[in-house]
Amino acid sequence: MSTIGGLARAEKAPLPAVAISLRRRPPLPVQPGRILLYIVLIGYGLFSLAPFLFAFSSSFKTYAQVLSWPPSLLPSPATLDNYRFILSGSQLFPRYILNSIIYAGAVTILNVLLASMAGYAFGRMEFPGKNLFYLLTLAVLMIPTQLILIPKFLVAYTLGLTDNYGGLIVPAMVTPTSVFLMTQFLKTLPRELEEAALIDGCSRFRAFWQIIFPLVRPAVTVVALLSFQGAWNEFLWPLIVMSHQENYTLTVGLAFFKGNYVTQYNLVLAGAMISIAPLVIIFFIFQRYFIQGLATSGLAGR
Amino acid sequence: MQLSVRKAQPDGPYGTRRLLPFKINRRKLTETLTAYTFLAPYLFVLIVFTLIAIVTALTLSFFYVDFGFTAPIFYGFRNYLNIWYDLTHDGDFAVGLRNCVEYTIGVVTLQTILALFLALLLNQRVRGRSFFRTIFYLPAMTSSVAISLIFYWLYQPQGGINYVLSLLHIQGPAWLENPSTALPAIMLLNIWTTAPTFMLMYLAALQDIPSTLYEAARVDGANSWQMLWKITVPLLRPTTFAVVALGSIGAFQMFDQAFVMEGASGAPLRSTLTAAMVIYDTAFQKSLMGLACAQAFVLFIIIFAVTLLQKRYIDVNIQY
Repeated sequence: MSTIGGLARAEKAPLPAVAISLRRRPPLPVQPGRILLYIVLIGYGLFSLAPFLFAFSSSFKTYAQVLSWPPSLLPSPATLDNYRFILSGSQLFPRYILNSIIYAGAVTILNVLLASMAGYAFGRMEFPGKNLFYLLTLAVLMIPTQLILIPKFLVAYTLGLTDNYGGLIVPAMVTPTSVFLMTQFLKTLPRELEEAALIDGCSRFRAFWQIIFPLVRPAVTVVALLSFQGAWNEFLWPLIVMSHQENYTLTVGLAFFKGNYVTQYNLVLAGAMISIAPLVIIFFIFQRYFIQGLATSGLAGR
Repeated sequence: MQLSVRKAQPDGPYGTRRLLPFKINRRKLTETLTAYTFLAPYLFVLIVFTLIAIVTALTLSFFYVDFGFTAPIFYGFRNYLNIWYDLTHDGDFAVGLRNCVEYTIGVVTLQTILALFLALLLNQRVRGRSFFRTIFYLPAMTSSVAISLIFYWLYQPQGGINYVLSLLHIQGPAWLENPSTALPAIMLLNIWTTAPTFMLMYLAALQDIPSTLYEAARVDGANSWQMLWKITVPLLRPTTFAVVALGSIGAFQMFDQAFVMEGASGAPLRSTLTAAMVIYDTAFQKSLMGLACAQAFVLFIIIFAVTLLQKRYIDVNIQY
């Protein structure tokens, strides 16, 4: 695991008394280099966290306090009024949240189901056209979303998929990224798993549903997380597809909310926190899967 | 003689050998149909919303499409001539593209260096590596809109960033109102949010470099600085290509941050107007779908050319 630094340090580290492998050295003595390393790591960690923490604490401030100079780290008095205002009936926020939950929830469930089906065909079946469509899947991953944005909207419009949940969900219900991840995972499962069942006359559908699907849990977790994150954070597509305010997702609603309450940072920040919170909680629970998924797909830059 | 030999061969369980090829075909047919049933929803989305969309985009770029009012009118190259006029007369699209180039160069350079630096740090033998990795990754997983709102507040003249600067006795500018600082401000924000993703890609690649190479280099008396430049960086070239290419594709299409922080017009003085914002404006505010498709196609060609150049100069095979 530790390669460069580990070996570089080995020059200075005392040789272990027992002959053990180079990779398993006893804890290193305190060195100036290591202290510097931890200072940089902690420093960057604070740099990553500080905007969130400061925004979180400021979302409990009053309007006067959020504008005060110098800014105070902690709210005094702390108030829930910002959240109360946002979640009250006077704003459409409860509706935006509901829309985002339906959108992200449906996209997550559909991606897990449909991408594992597609991945099963690509990864474990032989049929003409397989290579063509799999290559297309890989090619599509590299296409900028801007190129197809307008025709995608026109297609959605023709199919009656604008200004409704269908317009959000249908184009995103099974993404090339999910199919790619599922295919790569399903390829690695041994072929013998369903072979015996198939010879005994079990249909492909039953083999998929009863034998393979229960085994794809690690990939399901990754696909579910990335799909949820993608839909929850998506801004441009809901902005284009939805025209009535009550159909906005949380991201679009937030952007327009900011337009109406320009300098009321306390309210804007409370809104941002509502949008961030669910993902942060999910992220800290499943962070291992997130990172694993990003490392295998290498395509998270969107 | 020959006849008897043929008869001696074993037959299939259900009859003569003549049936065998037919049986195989039928099984193949079932398998193919089953496979396409599994693929049907995905192929629907892929074909309708991506492949047809690409063809439509190209076709529409030669039409005048006044969305919802009149039928499309064939326009020849007039949309492209229109773009040419815009580009040569400092129109919105020209400004948007120029901002995108400036933005992409700044963001991609700095975020690639930062990503590699962070990955090298985390690749050391450190306690709590996964803890740091999680914390570093936090900005990359939150919504661009929410992050833009937080930074919209932090970048205010009396905001958090200027307060930190004032502690160092620096008078911070009005970041988002000044044409010379608005785009750099968005650049910094974007570097902060995307570098961690690419850090993960670098980390995965670093762990694939065989340690024997470093051992050999150390035997030859190389110091860690030399090992970094002679072994690590060259061997990371394919990853660097992926990081730079994906970073550029993303940066060229920047929309959310500028739209949320500076509004649809790319204030102040079009300094944060991006190509994507111009395309959005052409298509959905001015209702000129054909022209917007042509603009999108021009943007695509630029991104494609940039990716090819990067492939040519970064993704060079290194042999050891």
